Amino acid sequence: MALGGYAGRYLEVDLTSGRWVVRELPGRWAVEYIGGTGFAARYLWDHVGPGVDPLSPENVLVVATGPATGSAAPMSGRFVIASKAPLTGIWGESHAGGHFGPALKFAGYDLVAVTGRSESPVYLWIDDDSVEIRDASDLWGKTTTETFSAIREELGDPEVQAAVIGPAGERLVRFANVMADTCDAAGRTGMGAVMGSKNLKAVAVRGSRGVEPASDEFYDVVNGLYEKATRGEWSRIADETIRGYGTPYLIDVMTQIGRLPTKNHYTGLFDRAEDINATALERYRISKKSCFNCFLQCKYVHYVPSGRYAGTLTCGPEYEALVALGSNVMVGNLEAILHYNRLCNDYGMDVITAGKIVSWLMEIYERGLVSEDDLGGIRPVWGDEEVVETLIHAMARREGIGDLLAEGGLRAAKKIGRGTERYLIHVKGLEASAQDGRSHKSIGLAHAVNVRGADHLRGLCTYDELPWAVKYAYERFGEEEARKMVVDDRLDPRGKGYLTWLTENFYSVVDSIITCKYGTMWPMIYYYDDFAPMLRTLTGLEELGDERRLRIAGERIYMLRRAFNAREGVGRSQDTLNPRFTEEPMPEGPGRGQVVELDVMLPEYYEYRGLDLETGWPKREKLIQLGLGDVAEELAGMGRLAE
Amino acid sequence: MAKLMTLMVLPERCTGCRTCENVCSYYHEGSFNPARSRIQVVRDVIRGVNVPLVCQQCEDAPCVAACPTGALSRDAERGLVEIDYSRCIGCKTCVSVCPFGGMSTDPVTNRPIKCDFCGGDPQCVKHCVPGALLYVPVTAANVLQKRRVLERIPQFVEVALPKLPEVG
Repeated sequence: MALGGYAGRYLEVDLTSGRWVVRELPGRWAVEYIGGTGFAARYLWDHVGPGVDPLSPENVLVVATGPATGSAAPMSGRFVIASKAPLTGIWGESHAGGHFGPALKFAGYDLVAVTGRSESPVYLWIDDDSVEIRDASDLWGKTTTETFSAIREELGDPEVQAAVIGPAGERLVRFANVMADTCDAAGRTGMGAVMGSKNLKAVAVRGSRGVEPASDEFYDVVNGLYEKATRGEWSRIADETIRGYGTPYLIDVMTQIGRLPTKNHYTGLFDRAEDINATALERYRISKKSCFNCFLQCKYVHYVPSGRYAGTLTCGPEYEALVALGSNVMVGNLEAILHYNRLCNDYGMDVITAGKIVSWLMEIYERGLVSEDDLGGIRPVWGDEEVVETLIHAMARREGIGDLLAEGGLRAAKKIGRGTERYLIHVKGLEASAQDGRSHKSIGLAHAVNVRGADHLRGLCTYDELPWAVKYAYERFGEEEARKMVVDDRLDPRGKGYLTWLTENFYSVVDSIITCKYGTMWPMIYYYDDFAPMLRTLTGLEELGDERRLRIAGERIYMLRRAFNAREGVGRSQDTLNPRFTEEPMPEGPGRGQVVELDVMLPEYYEYRGLDLETGWPKREKLIQLGLGDVAEELAGMGRLAE
Repeated sequence: MAKLMTLMVLPERCTGCRTCENVCSYYHEGSFNPARSRIQVVRDVIRGVNVPLVCQQCEDAPCVAACPTGALSRDAERGLVEIDYSRCIGCKTCVSVCPFGGMSTDPVTNRPIKCDFCGGDPQCVKHCVPGALLYVPVTAANVLQKRRVLERIPQFVEVALPKLPEVG
């Protein structure tokens, strides 16, 4: 298959037998599923059925790139890791930037699928056409940072890229992450535990094959996008915000709209926000980093020179860590947060879930639902820096109460009982990321219906979120559409079902191409009318150069993941939110008095998504319309299709 | 005579995105392939240190002196060290003697490759977001370099400042 952009082949590895095979990319995949998340969704639908335990050898770990990966397309240096998720038992997917994704593409693979389980620790070494399963006994137990260095030393090449797990992944902590290039985390849903269950310490890769576009015009398209990102209005906005400060800049923005999760999502304002914002963080900045081929460049490295946490050197924290390990546990000491960030990264553990489990413990302890004795002598009091650190170590090492907590918040809450589940802020078993639907209605819905659980990255809409972004919605969609989404009012639930459906479909395309979502919102250089010419000139496929067909592909990719969850038995009853958001009014700030009117937004969303309002199962006609007839048949056989 | 130009590297600004590598390889080989780039960024990812390495187009170039077949020469007018591939035997002596790591071996052709300023419009400079690469006349490079040094040694500026009386 001589398509531009794609490698045209994928690698299947069975760690049980130690065999591997390279296959040609199926003919229609590019047109129907684009790449990245789309490829992963198709592959996992075909290979991982409902009986498969996420931590069993039968589960498959998919690492995928998209057609843009490795090309000069702005902000395209990413990859996706997908699998059935150990944390939630449903669709699991996590993306990361850095330099690993492009290296995999340069080695000549659009996708790598790993199944089985090795008897002893191994790592996969992909060096262009050569594939090797190497002994990793000496790497086992090492932190993620140590693992990178050791692999590079062993292979004698300091530019070898790797995606690795740390001690948390080895110990099957259900929210263990996968780290790439030392600080780029594929953080959510426990992909690191899948690797750990396979005894797979790392995937190391080096490539020299290159990515060739179908047409030279691709370079002109790229240069146009480059102009948009680095000159004029968008560049100025980027410099003053994300490019200049990274995602920590969001601390101030979220304070402004009253959506900064604080005290286990009790409120949206943190009285020490100024101690943990981008300005405060700048004092510790030592350098700036960038993912491959990025025009935004938002990563900063920080160092704590003195005091209790002296010597802490860490890339990040990002906004999510500042909340999960800061405001949401009431810690306002930035140096402590920098330290937690480094610990979690070194252990290879999702900062969001780790932090949200700590805040949950703090709340149930305060409410008297658990005692010091239940927690092995730990007294989780709001804002106690030492307790946060102790719990991070305990979870990553599965020591004491940490062994239970390492199973994830929902399993821990079910085991403890006593009504503690009521205070775990999660959807479908995934602890919520740092948003609050009460101050921004569409994200409430997006959390509830997201295919991987309570998380922003499958459907967060920024037009109605950021005070300055509304006008761009009018420019892009026109007045009629913008009004239909009620994009001017983030507290109005009307139109948000439509808006979220639209955003989810678009992000499905973004996650399949793959580019960074910041390129679609901040600076807003990418939309369908940018992707279409880029993909046409890159791949040479007219289908991908057609905006209408791209939109349908986005809907198809989203729906296939929804169907994956339906096959697991997850439907309407799990498209829900914690009563904290639906029953307890926001106590203060711009969202004061608000709750998430999920009952208003959900039916509108279901209508667009083509789901049955009662069961949440996909409708046959919608699946047929999206060319997912085989999926419909399988769901029908299980009684999980709405006729 | 055309102005002598130079490609200036400011590593303190580099973020390691390697866009320079990608566009360099595309311009020269029609393929986005950092392994075939004439400029390469050496990175320390843990501390965030990034240094782009590229040919400095030396006046008295070690590669030219070391080349056993005379395949390397210097074009004084354009200030460029150039490879005559019809004479090159692929021995890679130039790669090993270059004090800047500015010479590389193309993993496809197994021949040395080096920066040629892209015919006067260096793609790396054009696409460098943080401004770590500059393509400027030698005269401007001199001034810029001096200002850059001053940024690192503020005492020089302070010493030179006139002592203004305190505002009462």
